[in-house]
Amino acid sequence: MKSIRKSLAVWAVIALLAVLASLPACAPQPTQAPPPTEAPATAAPAPTPTPAPAKEEQITLTIWWWGEQEAPGAQAWLEETIAEYQKLHPNIKIQHVLQTTDGLIPAFKAAAEAKQGPDIQYFWGGVWTLEDAWAGSLVPLSDYWPESEIKHLISNEERMYDGKLWGMAWYLSGNSIAYNKALLAKVGVDTEKPFTTWDEFLTVCQKLKDAGITPLAGGVKDGWFGGWLWQLLEHQALDSADELKAASIGEYKFTDPKFADWWKRLQELRDKGYWNPDITSLDYQQGQDLWVQGQAAMIFGNDTFYKGWMDLVGEENFGVAKIPVWGKGKLAGGYVVTAQGLGITSWSPHKQEAADFLLFMHTPDRLNAWYKHTGVFPADDRFDPNQITSPIMRQIFQWIVEKPNPNLENFAPSMLDEQANFVGVQRLLAGEIDAEQAAQLSEEVIQKWRSQNPDAVEHFKKWLGK
Amino acid sequence: MKYKWYEPYLFIAPGTIILLLVFFYPVVRLFRDSLMAPRGNEMVLVGLSNFRYLFSDDVFRMAIANNAKLLLSVPIMVVLALFLAILLFEQIRGWQFYRTTLFLPYLLSITVVGVIFGYMFQYRGVVNTLLQGIGLGTLAKDWLGKSEYALWVVMIVIIWKEVGFGVVLFLARLMSVQEELFEAARLDGANWLQLQWYITIPQLKSVIEFFTVISVFTMLSWVFNYIYVMTNGGPGNATMVTELYIYLMGFRYRMMHIASATSVLLVGITIVFILLQNRILGEEGAYA
Repeated sequence: MKSIRKSLAVWAVIALLAVLASLPACAPQPTQAPPPTEAPATAAPAPTPTPAPAKEEQITLTIWWWGEQEAPGAQAWLEETIAEYQKLHPNIKIQHVLQTTDGLIPAFKAAAEAKQGPDIQYFWGGVWTLEDAWAGSLVPLSDYWPESEIKHLISNEERMYDGKLWGMAWYLSGNSIAYNKALLAKVGVDTEKPFTTWDEFLTVCQKLKDAGITPLAGGVKDGWFGGWLWQLLEHQALDSADELKAASIGEYKFTDPKFADWWKRLQELRDKGYWNPDITSLDYQQGQDLWVQGQAAMIFGNDTFYKGWMDLVGEENFGVAKIPVWGKGKLAGGYVVTAQGLGITSWSPHKQEAADFLLFMHTPDRLNAWYKHTGVFPADDRFDPNQITSPIMRQIFQWIVEKPNPNLENFAPSMLDEQANFVGVQRLLAGEIDAEQAAQLSEEVIQKWRSQNPDAVEHFKKWLGK
Repeated sequence: MKYKWYEPYLFIAPGTIILLLVFFYPVVRLFRDSLMAPRGNEMVLVGLSNFRYLFSDDVFRMAIANNAKLLLSVPIMVVLALFLAILLFEQIRGWQFYRTTLFLPYLLSITVVGVIFGYMFQYRGVVNTLLQGIGLGTLAKDWLGKSEYALWVVMIVIIWKEVGFGVVLFLARLMSVQEELFEAARLDGANWLQLQWYITIPQLKSVIEFFTVISVFTMLSWVFNYIYVMTNGGPGNATMVTELYIYLMGFRYRMMHIASATSVLLVGITIVFILLQNRILGEEGAYA
């Protein structure tokens, strides 16, 4: 009897601890973390700029960023910028951590769960920024920057939600087709204007193929290129990115021709054998290397790489063309461009200082230094285009100014991108499914997303202005 | 010297509390989260709907099926490790060199192994070049780029890396078996196969069971690194496994409630295997 009593006592203690442990109040809390910012759907966080620090107060800002991968030279520029800023603000120390492509999002999601991590975080545009704003992990930049500064940023519409701007545009990243002029010349194609329409593009591809040259290089093993192909081929069927938001919330189906026909274009390229045969076993970077090595004539490229590519293949041998037109939407014929950016985390104890540093990044001297280091356009209309010496880059800048198109990957749930576009492109290019099945996959994925993310659906509705 | 009845519990209390916090709290929290879903800024109780979603999700079903397929490699690993250990035990010429060579893969980082094999099995990789070089070009495939082959290639790599551990385990046990047992059997006229069947395998029984159990758990919940590095779950989810599914749901799609429910199922499956193992070992009195 006595031993039973003892056992009961021990189990009672264990049970008590278990109950205590399961109470949210007992969850480990980060030290000195501010109360979490509420998601903007219910109440936008109040603009509570941190009071200016006392002169002697030492402040450390941490930046988690990405970008050296697509804009080589960015790290050197950032280090130079930090050094200059620290000279002006000796009490502020800035640490930066370059994230990997695959690690950028998961690392921040883990930090957001713990409400501990960087003061400034790198974000791709649109939903890649806003999903974290909706989760309460970001504060609006517009609470810390004056309107006179905000108006100079390019592509702010990607980060606007509920009347606030949720991040700072840093630099522009656009897409076009890069081609090897020597290879195109070999098959008698006009190297200054090789194609404009989809049919002309197919003709060029066929000529190259007939000559034993691989027309297109790519790698989809890591998935990312699948997302690019989607946004580049699909956007021209739409009138605006709002149509994609509307499809995400169920107002259209992804099997409707407007959203499904791009798969047919991709299947066309597969069926005609225009891709490198190992596209499904290569990562994007490896596919890109094929083009740089001259093993393929064309590539769906990102203009942030172009400076480096010109150095490798020679500017005289490097050409660019807009994505060939097949769609009849208002976006057809434009130049897809997005602004990569930075945001201030809701748990940062030094939000105002973080905002000040971001402001410093947009001073004219820093903007010009950015272009000098990277050859990539800063996302600020105060950038002096006279600095662009390369005729090709000048042409691209002209396209951006004339008709900038939204990057669709920024206007759909990331789950659609990864589970439908990444997966669908891999399977279609591997010959396992056709265009119709791929479109059906997109519809199934978006339905799954809607069923499990009712809040996000509401955010999308609000984003759409409903 | 007399103790109060509670004094021993006081001594183990610090360790118990740490254990509860480190192991018990996350498990309780996990179970709780698996029954909840985010609504607004709150988590609300949704009963079993997360589990219902899981069973309706073809990607999850594929992940479970792939884990099950990977379990097929366990008997292959056990038999292979046993065979190699016996060969080494018989001290074939250069056996010490082979022993080191066989164990070496186990010491390598999974990331390094994954990257290297990822390159080797590319369409224009070493494997296909070799096949073409010896006139077997028709066998050259896009090993990691096609759904039909990718998982089996990953399985081969896992076997290659993990089998060395089994070899060393078995060999260590064999070294401690009394030589008289083998001599007596030989005197009784036992041939090579009979020696292995009646002496080696019974003597290795407990180690074989241990290696089998470890390998089963590896295939259930320790293959993330191989998959992440070699295929990232592709092509087209063909190599999706439950660990990667949990990671994607929790950290890529912001669906921590689904990730929690998946984790609970994985814990459940693992517990079933532990119970099975205990039952088998308990019945047969292994480790006794």
